[in-house]
Amino acid sequence: MATDFTVNGRAVSSGADADTPLLWVLRDELGLMGTKYGCGIAQCGACTVLADGAPVPSCSIPVSSVAGQRIQTIEGLSPDRGHPVQRAWAEIDVPQCGYCQSGQIMTAAALLAARPDPSDADIDAAMRGVLCRCGTYPRIRAAIRRAAELARAG
Amino acid sequence: MSLTLSRRAFLATAAAALVVPFTVRGTAKVASQPTTLNAYLRIDADGAVTIISPVSEMGQGTHTAHAAIIADELGVDISRVRVTVPQQPAPEYRLFFGQMRSVGSFGVRKWIEPLRKSAAQARTVLTQAAATRWGEDAATLTVDDGAVLDPASGRRAAFAELVADAALLPLPEEPALRPAATRRYVGKAVPRIDTAAKIDGSAVYGIDVRLPDMLHGAVRLAPVFGAEVDSIDAASAPGAIAVAEVPGGAVVIAESWWKAKRLADGLAITWKPTPHDQVSSDDISRRLRAGLDADSAPAAVTRGDAAARLGAAARVVEADYEVPFLTHVSMEPITCAAQVSDSRCEVWMSTQGHDVVREALEAVTGLPAERIFINTTYLGGGFGRKTHGEIAQQAVLASRAVGGRPVKVVWSREDDVRQGQYRPAMAARLRAALDADGRLTAMHARLSGPMMGREYAHVTIRDNMDFFSHDVLRTQKYVASDFLLDHHEVPVPPSLCPWRAVSASQNGFFLEAFIDEVAHAARQDPLAFRKALLADHPSHVAVLESVERRSNWGTPLPGPNWGRGVAIVESYGSRCAQVAEVEMVDDRPVVRRVVLALDCGEAVNPGQVETQMVGSVIDALGPALRCQVTLRDGRAEQSNFDDYPILRIDEVPQIDVEIVDTGAPIGGVGEPGLPPTAPAVANAIFAATGRRRRQTPLGQA
Repeated sequence: MATDFTVNGRAVSSGADADTPLLWVLRDELGLMGTKYGCGIAQCGACTVLADGAPVPSCSIPVSSVAGQRIQTIEGLSPDRGHPVQRAWAEIDVPQCGYCQSGQIMTAAALLAARPDPSDADIDAAMRGVLCRCGTYPRIRAAIRRAAELARAG
Repeated sequence: MSLTLSRRAFLATAAAALVVPFTVRGTAKVASQPTTLNAYLRIDADGAVTIISPVSEMGQGTHTAHAAIIADELGVDISRVRVTVPQQPAPEYRLFFGQMRSVGSFGVRKWIEPLRKSAAQARTVLTQAAATRWGEDAATLTVDDGAVLDPASGRRAAFAELVADAALLPLPEEPALRPAATRRYVGKAVPRIDTAAKIDGSAVYGIDVRLPDMLHGAVRLAPVFGAEVDSIDAASAPGAIAVAEVPGGAVVIAESWWKAKRLADGLAITWKPTPHDQVSSDDISRRLRAGLDADSAPAAVTRGDAAARLGAAARVVEADYEVPFLTHVSMEPITCAAQVSDSRCEVWMSTQGHDVVREALEAVTGLPAERIFINTTYLGGGFGRKTHGEIAQQAVLASRAVGGRPVKVVWSREDDVRQGQYRPAMAARLRAALDADGRLTAMHARLSGPMMGREYAHVTIRDNMDFFSHDVLRTQKYVASDFLLDHHEVPVPPSLCPWRAVSASQNGFFLEAFIDEVAHAARQDPLAFRKALLADHPSHVAVLESVERRSNWGTPLPGPNWGRGVAIVESYGSRCAQVAEVEMVDDRPVVRRVVLALDCGEAVNPGQVETQMVGSVIDALGPALRCQVTLRDGRAEQSNFDDYPILRIDEVPQIDVEIVDTGAPIGGVGEPGLPPTAPAVANAIFAATGRRRRQTPLGQA
């Protein structure tokens, strides 16, 4: 049975088996390759997308569980890399290999939506689920603080 | 939306396919075609400059450095420079050992001169083409922002207009370089050229490759290291398009990866027994320790007579150290897409080992090198692991099993952690002779463990010297005379693979933890002790003095459970010193701060040198404190990030980096920042507790 939901504002009807993780529907069925596989067990956060605005590990939630929800991926965050988090990421030049960065950026976007002026502890608590093997963490912290400033400035 | 992305992914691979480094010069006469000027440079019809780089981009920032070098020497804005990797290895792209590989922290230090020369050649012939066209003397012309300029007349011709003519001119052997003062990018913290693609999800990694008619493969590989397949019952994977046997296991092929993975998990497959079906880490540890106790072992370095000095010493300091297997866990797992026919083999992959892959593909296809094409994507991390060719062979066997349709094989994280290719487990016994005045007069370092060069690189080990096992110890500068390095070889079941900094990662730990013990035995400050022994090496002293000053070495720390430790390691042509500040919390070390100094000679992109240093420390802290692969019943006990827990953001200490320039030759950057971290932390734990921890991970007492 098909699962209906929206991805980046567009209606989607997935014919994948109900227990297929959302990640593989996004990647292999919808061709949205920006969301990455890293562990398959919700340990690394590389697959993070937003479901009704909340960050979720798409590798570990079955597609059937997002029926009726609004899914947002990195491709839908902005049309032009204009989201404050992306602007800050570019300004601070955060990525190295870049593989985890979609998960980092989506998690940071959700954090700032919930807490426009996050403390260092807020940043650590929100971001600790997303691993970065290159060690971009200090620049991620700086970029989230910068993104908060950019968002406030409009 | 999926159409847009699909086209983007396809275009990325199509663009890569256009790169033909061996295009005969001068054949591209039409301005609508890219024109190849030499092995490293091409000018496209739109005026964009494409670098054909011998190095993969895996996060280390090499492509940005290459773009900076070319942009400065050619005279173009860096935004007009693209970087691609050739589809076929060739002599121009190979390192001194005859292989095209993105390894050894060679990315910038090895290629800066060839790339600069190639740009100077291109600039010379472009300028000459303009001079001929205008009837002027080339010496009166200059380059400016992608064009040749005649300052006298104001005439201007873009490179794209000149390149067809320029390609017909002979390349000068020794082209003149532009003055260093004209450089806009080299030496400055230039933003990475790949950042935009890495913040909007458009960067294409190996796992993202999509090809027309492509199928997906998941693997089921032997749980015991090196076990061979005994039987496969393909009927146990109903719904699979094919099951391809590969060395050590099978690839199950289906329309989607998730389906293939489920079928692979359920595949009925058995393996033959191996001699190490019962081996555990304790067994390996016992064999390593026995190697330390062996009466003698083949010597790799013999200077003077260390044994005699040790026998006559006023005092001998001796300590044993041990490190476990480590794995790479690059965030992008191991993956490759392949399409093969009787006459052609093409792969798309995130590889850092082009000649290794070529050799693997020649072996599995029987095709000659000129019929093999390797399309290199971005790498989601490499760290040495992606030098291997087994995944390319698996993808080819999978494509062959479905009649030559393209198949993308993706390993799960569990496959990645459990399938070996580890940094070797090793043990070391170090012994030092102190004279009556507390001076270090002789040293003997005994290694016990595998000879990685033999196992990984299949190199001939001459005089028992193994460059994959003996770094740092081989070149140690603490004892000029009377030094012995010997190595008792202990083979191990898992396959081995260079891990970041290769043997410098463990030998740096052994030597720097030990020198700290020697300093304390000699009742000297460990930092002053090192400086005195290294006084003839100004770069070493400079990085030590940098961390001494910036860490406020010798001043009080916040509490009694705190300690500072220092280490200095020279590797890959650079010197790196670190001071770690550690607080013991319930007997558990918590690293609060790391002060780092690096002398890598010329820093082509200081911003990326800094990120490599910060990243190296964070990378090192996982294994220094808690990560390891242990064996039980011949197989790995760990499988994923839950039991191989690399550092998370809330655990990262303050890291302060200074780049020191003593005028030394240009050195490597990707690896030298890693080796000093573990010994600096170990030495800080001793400073805090008075007890030595001589085995990593250091997190447990």
